[in-house]
Amino acid sequence: MAGTKTIDSYVPSAVGSHHWSISRVARLVTMTFVAALFIFPIIGFVAMAFRDQSAVADGSDGFLGLGGVSIGNALFSWSQIIGFGTGEGGIFLRWMGNSLIVSIGGALIAVVAAIPAGYALARLRFRFRRTVLFVTLLTMVMPNTVLVIPLFLEVNAIGAVGQLWPVAVIMGFFPFGVYLSYIHFMTTMPPELVEAARIDGLSEIGIFFQVATPISKQAIALVTFFAFVANWTNFFLPLALLTSNSENKTVSLGIQELIGASPLFNPTVAAGLDVKLYMPQLALATFISMLPLLILFIGAQRFLMRGQTVGAVKG
Amino acid sequence: MTQATLAPPSSPAATAPGPTARRRRTLHNSEARGAWTLMAPYLLLLLVAGVIPICYAIYTSLQKAPTPLQPEAGFGGVQSFVTVFTDYRFWATLGNIFSVLLVWLPLMILGIVGLALLVHASPGRFGSAMRFVYYVPGALAGIANFVLWVYLLNPGQSPIGFLLEGFGMSTIKAVAAPDNLPVILAGMLFFQGVGTWIIVVNGGLNGIPDEVFEAASLDGANSWQVAWRIKIPLIRPWIGYAALMNLAYGFQLFLEPYLLDQVASGAIADQWTPSQLGYAFAFSNYNFPAAAAMSIILLVITLGIGLLIVFRSGLFGEEEK
Repeated sequence: MAGTKTIDSYVPSAVGSHHWSISRVARLVTMTFVAALFIFPIIGFVAMAFRDQSAVADGSDGFLGLGGVSIGNALFSWSQIIGFGTGEGGIFLRWMGNSLIVSIGGALIAVVAAIPAGYALARLRFRFRRTVLFVTLLTMVMPNTVLVIPLFLEVNAIGAVGQLWPVAVIMGFFPFGVYLSYIHFMTTMPPELVEAARIDGLSEIGIFFQVATPISKQAIALVTFFAFVANWTNFFLPLALLTSNSENKTVSLGIQELIGASPLFNPTVAAGLDVKLYMPQLALATFISMLPLLILFIGAQRFLMRGQTVGAVKG
Repeated sequence: MTQATLAPPSSPAATAPGPTARRRRTLHNSEARGAWTLMAPYLLLLLVAGVIPICYAIYTSLQKAPTPLQPEAGFGGVQSFVTVFTDYRFWATLGNIFSVLLVWLPLMILGIVGLALLVHASPGRFGSAMRFVYYVPGALAGIANFVLWVYLLNPGQSPIGFLLEGFGMSTIKAVAAPDNLPVILAGMLFFQGVGTWIIVVNGGLNGIPDEVFEAASLDGANSWQVAWRIKIPLIRPWIGYAALMNLAYGFQLFLEPYLLDQVASGAIADQWTPSQLGYAFAFSNYNFPAAAAMSIILLVITLGIGLLIVFRSGLFGEEEK
């Protein structure tokens, strides 16, 4: 990739001066260097998931541990991960399932709420429209973790701590999705279209379902994607609401539990366990926990690059 | 672009085109009804996951902390806020946050702007490949990023273990010493956050019309001058937006110090950030009024930053026209 660029930077062009090609080489070298800083730790980490603990301890696997990578190691590590838990183990899969439930549930609620709300804000006129828009923007730019303790108090008051459904419902509140949907209808749906549908005798709700929804595929994909990613990686909310019930933990909390049971960091607790969780096992568990996101990223890349530039993204 | 977001609300009737006043009014009634119906699910969620918890937190913070002798709490006024402000950890947690922000924010802004400019100066496949590479760590948000950093920071098996040991740190406990924390946390946050922001700022750069660059090159500006004199001033709203969003993000830090403390077997204070302190009030002391007061304090801080973003960044409200 870099090859073609560097070669033509050496070709003297009519106006190109020596200075120009130096700055071009400097740019390419800087960018490649930063990319290496980003990529090497990830390669080493993924390799770790396929290595053997004794070789890791010896440090004998060569550059980034790539020499010691094998499927057999990963299968052994998986047997340790799946063996974790009381009785037969297998709680890791349950955590993955819980994460899927709250992430998909939360994303579905977010889409169902955000698409019509974004449409109404973009194309309908009513009192307090600006107020609703303003509140949406404000809640969008504030980190959602500041509300976790108040949410815990609320859920605690109705006695639903430790259950999955409040987590999914709370995750369904996704103002960034409303903003995305609002921008989508602002940019893709001309007001004349709504006007024409009204003249044709459609009701306001009818216009949304028959005119707006069919052209909102892009917005639905984006909202689903961002909501799912935010839900899957959410840590603080499940920590406050689900820690009390080990069966209902999400995989993020589960990995925290695995770290806590690792002899690397806690020799006394780990001594009583049948399974041994060292860095290869922790890396593999993390890698597996990221697979749904990886699949989604690859599947949604086309939508993503187009959509990210649409508006500001919640960090 | 620099105009405040929400221009004075113009009355809907004045902007609405319509043949007669009466038709317009009936139209507006049904239009408004439709709008509220369509927004109902969202507004319900806003109520359940935003308004009610905030109100309930305010109510809770005004209660007395229950004691074994007096388990039933009553009205306690601002007592819980006094508890928080006089807690010996409170000012320390704010100091910790500032120590992280001091390292992290400049690094972040420099990284975002520098890399976004480099990507923008590299059209074609190389530039978009690099943009993608910078984005990849962003996918490893949350606990995955943390485990990756444990892998990097544990001298026993880290690929940079020789460096860490060169500094005389042979265990993760030594690496995660309080003095190193601002740098470690800045690294973690930078790694997971910079890619998304490069894409956002890059989007801003792509919005600059080509004629601007053509004019600059006709005037004989070189690429440095174009970046410094033209691109940076034009993307200033995005830079401000990124700075404020990340500032707000800094105040709620929780996961990284919380888990670092766990792997470093207590090398760090258990309540290193304000969010951790609020969590401890709720889950270690069962002092819900103090936990609620702590969240309200954080809420006020981030609300202030949020208002600044919405009104001053100049990024919102363009589409209003």
